[in-house]
Amino acid sequence: MRFLFYLPLSLIFSLFSLLALTACAADLEAFQRASARARIGQFFDRNAVGASSESKHTNNWAVLVCSSRYWFNYRHMSNTLGMYRTVKRLGIPDSNIILMLADDAACNPRNRFPGCVYADAGRHLDLYGENIEVDYRGYEVTVENLLRVLTGRVEPSVPRSKRLLSDDRSNIFVYMTGHGGNEFLKFQDNEEMSTFDVADAFEQMWQKKRYNEMFFMVDTCQAKSMYSKLYSPNILATGSSQVGENSYSYENDMDVGVAVIDGFTHFTLEFMENINKTSATNMQEFANKIRSHADVRSDLFHRPLDRTLITDFFGGVAHAEVIESPITTSVTTVSVESIAPEELGLREPVADLLINVSAAADDVEDHYAHFGGKQQDGWAIVAGLVGYVVMRERRQ
Amino acid sequence: MHIHALIILASLIGINSATPTQEEEYHESLTLRPLRDGKVATHFAFTTLIRGAVPRAPHSLADDDVSQHYTLFPLALGQILREYAITELHLNLNAGQWDYDRWGQPGEPAVGSGAELWVWMGDGAPTSVDARWKGTQNALAGLFCTSLGGMDAQRTTSPTRAFPPAGNLPRLSAPHTHRLRHASLPAESVCTENLTPFLKLLPCPVQAGVAALLNPHRLFDADWHGLGIDVRWIAGKGVELRMTVQAVFDPVRMSSEGKRDWTLRSLFGRVIPRACPVASSSRITVDLPADGGFVLLPDPSEIYPTSVAFNLARGMEELDISMHWSQEVRFSYPLDLTSTPISAISVDRTLKGASQTHGDLALVLRNNLHTPQRVLYLETLPWYIELYLHTLSVECGHSRPYELFGNLTYTPPVPHGSPTLLQAELILPPHERVRVAARFRKSFLRYTEHPPDAQRGWDLPPAVLVPEQGARARVYTRAVLVDLATPDFSMPYNVIIMTCTLAALVFGFVFNMLTRKFVVVYVGEKKEGDARALERVERSPSKEM
Repeated sequence: MRFLFYLPLSLIFSLFSLLALTACAADLEAFQRASARARIGQFFDRNAVGASSESKHTNNWAVLVCSSRYWFNYRHMSNTLGMYRTVKRLGIPDSNIILMLADDAACNPRNRFPGCVYADAGRHLDLYGENIEVDYRGYEVTVENLLRVLTGRVEPSVPRSKRLLSDDRSNIFVYMTGHGGNEFLKFQDNEEMSTFDVADAFEQMWQKKRYNEMFFMVDTCQAKSMYSKLYSPNILATGSSQVGENSYSYENDMDVGVAVIDGFTHFTLEFMENINKTSATNMQEFANKIRSHADVRSDLFHRPLDRTLITDFFGGVAHAEVIESPITTSVTTVSVESIAPEELGLREPVADLLINVSAAADDVEDHYAHFGGKQQDGWAIVAGLVGYVVMRERRQ
Repeated sequence: MHIHALIILASLIGINSATPTQEEEYHESLTLRPLRDGKVATHFAFTTLIRGAVPRAPHSLADDDVSQHYTLFPLALGQILREYAITELHLNLNAGQWDYDRWGQPGEPAVGSGAELWVWMGDGAPTSVDARWKGTQNALAGLFCTSLGGMDAQRTTSPTRAFPPAGNLPRLSAPHTHRLRHASLPAESVCTENLTPFLKLLPCPVQAGVAALLNPHRLFDADWHGLGIDVRWIAGKGVELRMTVQAVFDPVRMSSEGKRDWTLRSLFGRVIPRACPVASSSRITVDLPADGGFVLLPDPSEIYPTSVAFNLARGMEELDISMHWSQEVRFSYPLDLTSTPISAISVDRTLKGASQTHGDLALVLRNNLHTPQRVLYLETLPWYIELYLHTLSVECGHSRPYELFGNLTYTPPVPHGSPTLLQAELILPPHERVRVAARFRKSFLRYTEHPPDAQRGWDLPPAVLVPEQGARARVYTRAVLVDLATPDFSMPYNVIIMTCTLAALVFGFVFNMLTRKFVVVYVGEKKEGDARALERVERSPSKEM
């Protein structure tokens, strides 16, 4: 109904816009259009310079999990926050990051540096910063909640910030750290998530078209066992240790009083600190760089690692195509040229348009008042219509 | 093209001036109060008022809501208020214990440790009040990065006497009334992730106005700190959102020389760069300490007998306020702080008893005024603490004057369901200590009901006292930890393993006996007599056993 209501309005506007547009050099417009297209192309391609990404994703998500509680597991909080810092720095917004921290290290009474979680022994890099959003914290970090987030089976009232709203064009980075063993990861020293749970959750995500590609990183003892059972396609996995091996912390800070970060994440973070949004560094370089017996599993992944960019998973890359011909909508098919202004009884375009706009606005307001709406809506619609007419004219 | 621009502009202006807009106002203030023990209490208040707005009527939840347009009021919060038709909302996130005796009454009364949420909403909506309460918790948990979703039915009460509406409640059609839902999570931590979304709701978050001082690294280093969100409707005025931050800083601890001098920079690590351009009023008040001998810089804009005020005006220079005691080499703590409390009531709540099955709850109140005081005492206890009501006793001096205790309402707990609610009126004689005590039983929890850190104990929410005269500002007691019987969590696995082993042994033995055939096997030459013997064995295998 509303559409029908706007149709005559837009018709009138289009008509007078056409009349007002008396002279406009066609070549000038073509030039403007080309330069605008080039600028837009540059803006969006800035993220994909160098060996441009082959990934087909259109959005990026990150699920970062610290499954350990208690102050002495400070390093697990800082591991997770290190990855949070990286993905946020490389352009994934907070709304696309699900951060799970099982304990509060930053404002822990034992923390000498309130509001800070440091990544190194000299306390040079504060990972907590002044702008952070933790989505699941404390007792909420459970195996059940993580599986619910991954598979999207959450209560209807759960807010958007606590959901993984990914689709089949999403690249997801999943990071987990905590205390683990052969084929399990402990949550809060209370329950375990097994590698079969992870594998089945990922398979369910694949079947429900919840990801395009996934990068799964684990920093725990016997980390390789955590992705040994995965069987879903397009998953690249890496972990800090082989089966039967432990993962160790990297260094202690004497003032913090505990180990501040784990070895694997330390070197990963160090590597990532040299990467920016336009970096063309690929996964093969990352795999070569990480130390100890860290392992990479790529048999499920369909692309070669040297043609997979780090920013495919860590960066919020926006791909946009600049199309050549303008999109035509159904509204534009109305042949406005055929109606002469005299037929509508309008001679002075500018003045009449003004009057008409006001009259139309009144109509719109009445219409809305009838539905109990706010009066501001009327202006928004009118402004939108006028803007639309101007835009359309440029295209012509 | 110019013509078009003109048309757009003219039409917009024309319509703008033709229709009335919803007026929004934003006021901000900061109050700094040097305390007797050298600390500085700071109180930020950011008030946004939508003139003429009314809370959404519950029955309209069935229909699509009107679109929302705000200029200063935060949309993220407005959406939650409309989605669940909340009339009044109060959320507090505090850390630490407010010391009433030393610091007096706080600027905002809600200082109970942990998270506290209470909501007034009307019934008569298509969805129940409890469903909307649950939705409100989840929505606020998402907005403020808290774990408010843990406020289930086991923690929810409706203590209407202690938590009356702070504003007005719109009239609802006949059978419908407004309901209160209240819950607290005393162990909830407060950190940067709560302040980040809080600041994002302000019109001038970090660059201007008094909010520029809210530095998480300093705020969470304070001895006490708290965030508050209060939404209420005032009839004839509109919907008011009040966002508050309170913190008690200790300049003596932060100073290397042990002095109590402070500046805005020393407290917050920042100064106020410029005034907030959209604020209708922006004001800093400094309460003057009674002992004198201090120097306050720069010159304030207004001077009152006990306080001074600075107005932040547009075009102001960078502002840093400092207060220093030039004669004082080192701050000396007054020694009579506990004997001269500045609050009207001193209160202390303790749990006693080392037993894992029983304990004693004691509340000691002291009236510091010359006149008797009547207070409302509210105790909310989780279901696993079962009060023995018959052991409830009141002691004043050496007597047990039960007439001091009256108008008691008691909601017993439902195991695994809902908490205990005890409300009573107490009369406190002047300058007397009154002790209220009761015994309680600790329930035995199911194995799966324990939190991951069960050995830490369970936090009991703070009790609340509401003086029935004067400002009726609530007084919160400390949140106490109760130690419940915790099982050895590896025990179920031990039991399972043991049981399985025994079952396997017994079953295997019996199964063996029933199915296996025992025969004598001769190796080598076979004789005639042996064959007959073998036949006998086959007929009765038990003989050979």
